[in-house]
Amino acid sequence: MNPYLAGILLGLVLVAAFYFTGRGLGASGAVKSVVVSVVDVVAPDHANNSGFYSKYIGDGKNPLKTWLVFEVLGVLVGGFLSGAFAGRLKLKVEHHPNITSKKRLILAGIGGVLFGYGSQLGRGCTSGSALTGMAVLSVAGFVSMMAIFGTAFAFAYFFRRNWI
Amino acid sequence: MIPRLLLSAVYFGLGIIIAFVPENTTKPFRLTAEQMLNEVKYRSEMVSSDELADWMVNQDPSIQLIDIRTPKEFDQFHLENALNIPLSQILDEEWIDFLDQGIKMNILYSNGTTLAHEAWMISRQLGYENNYVLQGGLNYWTETILNPSAPSPYSADDEIAKYEFRKGASQYFGGEMKSTNESKKTKTDKPIIKRRKKKKAPQGGC
Amino acid sequence: MGPLIPQEIIAEGWNFLIAFGVGIGFGFILEQAGFSSSRKLAGVFYGYDAVVLKVFFTGAITGMIGLLYLSLFDWIDLNLIWVNPTYLWSAIIGGIIMGAGFIVGGFCPGTSVCAAAIGKIDAMVFFGGIFIGILLFGETFEWIKPLYMAEYWGQIKLSELIGISQGLLTFFIIIAALLMFWVAEMAEKKFPQKEY
Repeated sequence: MNPYLAGILLGLVLVAAFYFTGRGLGASGAVKSVVVSVVDVVAPDHANNSGFYSKYIGDGKNPLKTWLVFEVLGVLVGGFLSGAFAGRLKLKVEHHPNITSKKRLILAGIGGVLFGYGSQLGRGCTSGSALTGMAVLSVAGFVSMMAIFGTAFAFAYFFRRNWI
Repeated sequence: MIPRLLLSAVYFGLGIIIAFVPENTTKPFRLTAEQMLNEVKYRSEMVSSDELADWMVNQDPSIQLIDIRTPKEFDQFHLENALNIPLSQILDEEWIDFLDQGIKMNILYSNGTTLAHEAWMISRQLGYENNYVLQGGLNYWTETILNPSAPSPYSADDEIAKYEFRKGASQYFGGEMKSTNESKKTKTDKPIIKRRKKKKAPQGGC
Repeated sequence: MGPLIPQEIIAEGWNFLIAFGVGIGFGFILEQAGFSSSRKLAGVFYGYDAVVLKVFFTGAITGMIGLLYLSLFDWIDLNLIWVNPTYLWSAIIGGIIMGAGFIVGGFCPGTSVCAAAIGKIDAMVFFGGIFIGILLFGETFEWIKPLYMAEYWGQIKLSELIGISQGLLTFFIIIAALLMFWVAEMAEKKFPQKEY
């Protein structure tokens, strides 16, 4: 699909989300909900004592019952449907021929850990803070966006072997 | 190339328009004039001094007195536990949570009825509920509760009952009447507090 | 007058269903745009594929214009829209860490879900990594808390910070975005994408 068209549709989905529910998109928040519930099941006392986890399980409320969890489930379904229509469903590891699959997976794992930590510190990821934030003109949105893209550009040189 | 130029032109045009159109920042009035007229017809927003005295004597926790006079007048004399929100500040941010809420009954009062009623009108037009007006204000309050005048012995029973109640209330509030009689407390029906969910801005994030 | 659920024009119960629907739309569009491939995502940083830039910024300016025009016609109350709060140091440092994660891993949380949905194993590993990252954050929360809570500027908009109207800011961003698209198109021609 033409990227500009995709962008326009994305913007319209965003506006629709705002119109119906007053909030925009997001992704990392859903993963956080899962982490909180897992910690709560495995070590409930620790969860209640922590300044971070306790916020989401106070008063016995279910941390999984949040807007974002349902939205991310939708993303899963939507991505699957799109892949199915376009014939892109295939189990594989996508990597540059100069590096091995294993290296790619290790890099993906490290990247994930960094992103997970960063998204909680930054209070949002690219979808939630940068995209949605920019659409409402929030300062946090712009700052996040510039920090993320700026840093990625800055480090791009050092990781070029993995991509080009 | 052409479609992209076209798209750019469209966005540019939309951008120019939105840049120069003045922003829509008015807080909309939630009630039309007709709706307001209907509401004032029934005078249901008025609270009599007897009712108020009864609730205050019983230390009813669900009422909140709001004095809308100037701070100077407030300092000279105000009803117990009243909050001072001068009429000139009624639209200020810091008072919104007091005026726009669904937990307590706000009773607005001033020296007479007029100013308090004006405050009520404004708050009603902004869609706030649970605000009421003390009928007669502090003047009538002083007259009836603090210094009730004795009815003639030929008055109807309920007149005498009302007087007894006021005597007792006046003693409670430190008025001039000193009485040793047990006052018959008249039970009044409180208007139902419209409990509504505060329209909070939604949660978001991540 | 929107937003519909906060104004109680439609019932709260619809919220999660709408969230699901929005998610489906989001995921579908992302995948159609090709965001399920880490190669395409990282492409903007090397010039050969600026799809991230194009989709992201077109989405952002469409969102801005959409909200402002809805407000212009009184179809939405912008005061009831969630504006994410600004904690300056959190945003900057969190952003730096996320940028590093982006260039190393080649995904962001939303796109990794998308890619995982079509079977990309590296996306699933990335997604797993996010769990660990968040767990790490939760466990070390007390140490980072002062930084996390520093410089709270409130739910402030950029237009308020600079002192111009929302419409004017949107206009400038549209111009900036159009310029970036133009530069990106030129870069794509200059750095061809090798197939693998």
